[in-house]
Amino acid sequence: MAVRTETASLRRPSPALRWVRENLFNNWYNSVLTVIFGALFIWVGFSLLRWVFFRAEWEIVRVNLTLFMVGRFPRDELARIWVSNYMIVGAIGLMAGAATASAAAAAKEAGLPFVQSKLQDLIQRFWPVLLLVAALLQFSRTWTPTIMTVGMVVIGVAARFAGLHLPRVIRRYAWVLVALLLIGAYGALVWFGGFGWDDWGGLHLTLFVTVAGIILAFPLGLLFALGRRSTLPLVRLLSVTYIEFIRGVPLITLLLMGAFALKFLLPPGMDLSLVSRLVVAIMLFTAAYVAENVRGGLQAVPKGQTEAGQALGLPAWKVMRLIVLPQALRAVIPAMVGQFISLFKDTSLLVVVGVFELLAVSSIANNQPEFLGKGLAEVTLPFVAVIYWVGAYTMSRESRRLEKKLGVGER
Amino acid sequence: MTQNNVYSDATQARGDVIIEVQGVDKFFGDFQALKNINLNVGKQEVIVVMGPSGSGKSTLIRCINRLEKHDAGRIVVDGVELSDDIRNIQEIRRETGMVFQQFNLFPHLTVLDNITLAPRQVRNMPKNEAEEMAMLQLERVKIPEQAHKYPGQLSGGQQQRVAIARSLAMQPKVMLFDEPTSALDPEMIKEVLDAMQELAESGMTMIVVTHEMGFARAVANRVLFMADGEVVEVGTPQHIFENPDEDRTKLFLSQIL
Repeated sequence: MAVRTETASLRRPSPALRWVRENLFNNWYNSVLTVIFGALFIWVGFSLLRWVFFRAEWEIVRVNLTLFMVGRFPRDELARIWVSNYMIVGAIGLMAGAATASAAAAAKEAGLPFVQSKLQDLIQRFWPVLLLVAALLQFSRTWTPTIMTVGMVVIGVAARFAGLHLPRVIRRYAWVLVALLLIGAYGALVWFGGFGWDDWGGLHLTLFVTVAGIILAFPLGLLFALGRRSTLPLVRLLSVTYIEFIRGVPLITLLLMGAFALKFLLPPGMDLSLVSRLVVAIMLFTAAYVAENVRGGLQAVPKGQTEAGQALGLPAWKVMRLIVLPQALRAVIPAMVGQFISLFKDTSLLVVVGVFELLAVSSIANNQPEFLGKGLAEVTLPFVAVIYWVGAYTMSRESRRLEKKLGVGER
Repeated sequence: MTQNNVYSDATQARGDVIIEVQGVDKFFGDFQALKNINLNVGKQEVIVVMGPSGSGKSTLIRCINRLEKHDAGRIVVDGVELSDDIRNIQEIRRETGMVFQQFNLFPHLTVLDNITLAPRQVRNMPKNEAEEMAMLQLERVKIPEQAHKYPGQLSGGQQQRVAIARSLAMQPKVMLFDEPTSALDPEMIKEVLDAMQELAESGMTMIVVTHEMGFARAVANRVLFMADGEVVEVGTPQHIFENPDEDRTKLFLSQIL
């Protein structure tokens, strides 16, 4: 019997070949379409590869790599950025290690199996980022960035190891350590005669504005979402007014107001830097959309959930925090991450008010005397676009992973 | 004991009164859902509430733990009168467990966390103690092996038993059941009714909105028949099921049998 199935499978075409026959060549017009689109696909792919590897003049990126990465950050102080990056990587490693250790301990206590994620999973999750980093290092004309990046990997791995093996008592307070590291990462840039936001630039500034925008907009949006459902009419009115006002104004208007009008609204003597005013504008803008997303989530949680919490004697705020909000936020992960991806891409609008973020650098590079009028936007813009794409795509994939992990859609 | 005696006994609570409902009215807009309801429930008494849909059964028990606010009359649970004071409401809710038709388990928490949530958050019970107690409650409803699953992984009958365990974990003095078996497949009704019967035999005071006649006959001290927001009649199960005084009761029983 076993022998017969073996010979049968030998005679049958391989599964791949069968898939091709059933899906691409199952009748005459499908075969024609397959041939036409196949040829088109090959031609586009070939042209693209030829352009990337032979035609494109990457010199402009090579010369300006530091400008793309950090803008006008003083060149003899770049060590600050590396120190800052080390601390961020350390914080991420520590957090990942401690979280894994806690999850493993919880699973053990519950008598459930726990599968630790492998290096392979990490590569699968972050391959666009890894490819981008490799490409960037390839553009560098010195070995310093490569050595520093290897150092970052080493520190990240070491921190993760430390997080995994922290004594249980300390592990509970690992977040304090993480917070200190992140504060340190910020401090390394600005303390001890460092440089404020207005001196930052390039990809570094783009990422910072994105993260700051998300961290500030999320809690504010949450507050407005709860405010919109409040039983107090005044709170409700304020929330609705805010949300509807912000949603009725284009982001670019808010950014221009942040750049040129906010100054006159602030009390005299209080002087916010340009970038911080713009971060405020982005925060205010995103918070309104977050609020609407969260409101949708809150409405999706059945009334019975609240009633069950109330019937158990939980006070209203605990019913909200422990029962309704977790379910509501889980339900709106896709919408929320979509909003944050928008925020990430919208940071490129800062170019219109003269901030040196990633997109601004590409036009600056094109206006340098040695590259002026050579039509090299066809190199710099795709370069910048790929960086945005890597960021947005990674956020999108991580959100899908989070959804799966939290079991969205399963009740 | 004469027949007459049984009847008059059955209209009144025996022993210490734990729930007092006096002259309660409830309106939803213009619609009057409860009309001058009077009911005293004694300690360890089991009361089954029956009646056609829209008769106010659920509204009545939802008023007792203030999921609905009554518009007139007074409700006293274990010596605490329900008022607008949130502390009174919390105190009554702590002493009153409720089981819902749709279970209303928290889908984002494991069975164990569903049960320990309120004892830990409301009674400040330490985690270990709460979990031990939760396991006891799960054994009581005969599903300790499901402790680490999520509600979505359980059958309806199992979910409803978890919901009962969750309420019991707060060690309530009174349990309210709002049609606990109406959303269940027929083969799962018995396991839930069995758990409820055991609970009644352990001396729990219970008000149960249900149409399960078998359960009412076996467990109820009194049956309350409601229609159009009014209590039509109250009596022992035998009296209500075999020899009801009111035509509306007879009509209803003939329809559900």
